[in-house]
Amino acid sequence: MPKFLTSINAISWYFLFPVIFIHFFVVMFPSVLSLLLCLTDWNGFGRINYVGLENFQELFRDRVFKKAVKHNIIWTVMFLTIPVIVALIIAYLLTGIKRGQLFYRLVYFFPYILASIVNCLIWRYIFHPRHGLGGWFENQGIDFLAKSPFAMKETALYAVAWVDMWHFWGFLVIIYLTGMYQVDDSLYEAADIEGATKFQKFRYITLPMIRPIFVLSLIIIIIWSVPTFDYVYILTMGGPAYSSEVVANHLYSQAFQRMNVGYASTIGVMMFFYVGIIVGFFAILRRMGWEV
Amino acid sequence: MEEMMNKILNIFLTFILTAFFATSTFAATKVVWWMESSADTDPTVQEMMCDAFNAEQDEVELECVFKEDINDTIRPALLSGSGPDMFDTPGASYIKIYQDAGLVKSMQEYADQYGWQDKLLGWAYNSGVFDGELYSIPKNYETMIYFYNKTLFEENGWSTPNNLEEVESLAAKIKAKGMNVYAYGSAGWQPTHEHLVGNYFNTYAGPDNVYKALIGEKKWTDPEFVEAIELLRKHMVDEGYWSGDLETYYSLDWDDFNNEFATRGSAMLMIGTWGFNVTATNFGETSDDWDWNPLPILNSQAGNAPNYQLATGGTMSINAASKNADGAAKVIDWILSDKERALKVTGSLGYGAWLLPLKYTDADFDPNIDPRQKRFLTEFAEASDSGNYGYTTWTFYPNDPGVHIWKDMEVVWAGDITPLEFMEESQRLWDQARADDALVPVGKR
Repeated sequence: MPKFLTSINAISWYFLFPVIFIHFFVVMFPSVLSLLLCLTDWNGFGRINYVGLENFQELFRDRVFKKAVKHNIIWTVMFLTIPVIVALIIAYLLTGIKRGQLFYRLVYFFPYILASIVNCLIWRYIFHPRHGLGGWFENQGIDFLAKSPFAMKETALYAVAWVDMWHFWGFLVIIYLTGMYQVDDSLYEAADIEGATKFQKFRYITLPMIRPIFVLSLIIIIIWSVPTFDYVYILTMGGPAYSSEVVANHLYSQAFQRMNVGYASTIGVMMFFYVGIIVGFFAILRRMGWEV
Repeated sequence: MEEMMNKILNIFLTFILTAFFATSTFAATKVVWWMESSADTDPTVQEMMCDAFNAEQDEVELECVFKEDINDTIRPALLSGSGPDMFDTPGASYIKIYQDAGLVKSMQEYADQYGWQDKLLGWAYNSGVFDGELYSIPKNYETMIYFYNKTLFEENGWSTPNNLEEVESLAAKIKAKGMNVYAYGSAGWQPTHEHLVGNYFNTYAGPDNVYKALIGEKKWTDPEFVEAIELLRKHMVDEGYWSGDLETYYSLDWDDFNNEFATRGSAMLMIGTWGFNVTATNFGETSDDWDWNPLPILNSQAGNAPNYQLATGGTMSINAASKNADGAAKVIDWILSDKERALKVTGSLGYGAWLLPLKYTDADFDPNIDPRQKRFLTEFAEASDSGNYGYTTWTFYPNDPGVHIWKDMEVVWAGDITPLEFMEESQRLWDQARADDALVPVGKR
């Protein structure tokens, strides 16, 4: 057998081959196909007609798509702030707990391991105007939560995001906590000798030391916010009046309800480019010497 | 010894060949049918349809496979050229797409052979005819009606309403009693809104106008349709007829609004005939009595007599790639051939499913049938036979305008667009569907 076929390099390719093979057919091929479909008017079944850039022109006229993009941006901003801040505080507080910490970790992480449908049903019930908190307050003569926030166009997006954040921040707590445990204790001891407050220690030691994990969490949040779908779909289906419609939800509706698969592919391609830009942005920062 | 071995070999080969030919000649043809799953009805359907079919004959072996979200499941199966011999779809608009793509088999030769046209109600048969050939048969038919709490109405001396004035006057009396006019909600099934849109189109604009708009002789932007949407907006948003207010309507699901109706939270329930079963069950747990009526006519141009909107709830078809199409046709013919059995099956399901659109007569009914249920079945048949019928959006709308009608109705209710803007968008999508040849068949009125 020729030597190059048994070299270490070749052997590593043998091991990689099954993954590359599967990746090609399961990820790459459909992705490329989707890129091509965005130039067609395919309904998912019959003839495929080439329509050029018509779908892109339609996309920029589509008021629901514009609304959905705006909602995705709001969604991302909310996830970059609220759960991050809450998780940082909780993780930092947890580092000070020596006994029973595992219990708290479990409590915070528990919603993350529950299926999204379970989380949604819990919150739908809590906010139910008859059986939930609203009904209870009404019995006490208090007009509070009489209407479900999922059913009001002013609050639907925030209510759905709240449920998703409630399930998500436990995950952030765990990864921040892991990062905080890797910080050298001697730094805190030195800070103690200097008389640093808790906040100063957090600001000048903890945060800089967990920066790689922190930045990674931000990248994850930004990327995961793009295809967010399940909580919106289960709780509001994008309603009322598209007030909680996000891009993935719009894509689903176009592809599987309206049978505009070509147009839905165009939305998918836009999502792909958006994620590409984000990844590219962080890659540039890394090249510039940022620790990300 | 050699002779002995030859004999054994001969016997063995004869046995094998006989077994092979016997199996291939006499084995029953296997027909696989993917059906829309429903936990409440699957065991009954399995027992009374699938098992009963297999027990009655041995030519065809039927295997019923119950699938969640049948349309999402069947699509990749058909596209890959495989899939079951028979399959369900949610409605005729899906069949149109399958037919265009050559994924569904024409059943015209079987329809002619078995005389299906004579067995089915005319409109129901026509709903599966595309380009002159039969591609699907409705598994179930339904229409929109309203149930009311008869005891409550009698206690208060209320009469059931027949026109807009009576509806609004009764609504005021019901609200004065601290109850909601109608129980209903869309949580869990957003397309619920289209029931209401269809009701207002048919009872305000009228079935003749809806028909003309469906076939392109009228515009959806004509005043009667715009006014119908405006009236629905007023009743939903300003008057809060459904469950008190718009937000509560969005929050209530199937169990919530049915319970609300049965426990006097609302006086009436405007719903499809699939509501018979749950209404009877829920009222069975109370001391109140219930009854039903066709929808009140809200405008004189909708005619004087009540109209029943035609709707098919699911269809059955044969896969174009099926190698056992003849067997599948035999299954369908068996289902359509016995009206008594068909009524028994749907009766076991509370007439909410498997109500095949057959030409029933009084003699076909079980003497123990609930008279209110029987009244619906006979009145519907008479009305639809004499042309007093309307059109539901989920049976006669193509996909894109069909989704728009319920999804964007919320935008009207939110006040973000006017009824006219809503109907303009509807007209645009209809024009597009007509240009794409994506319309579903509407029998001649």
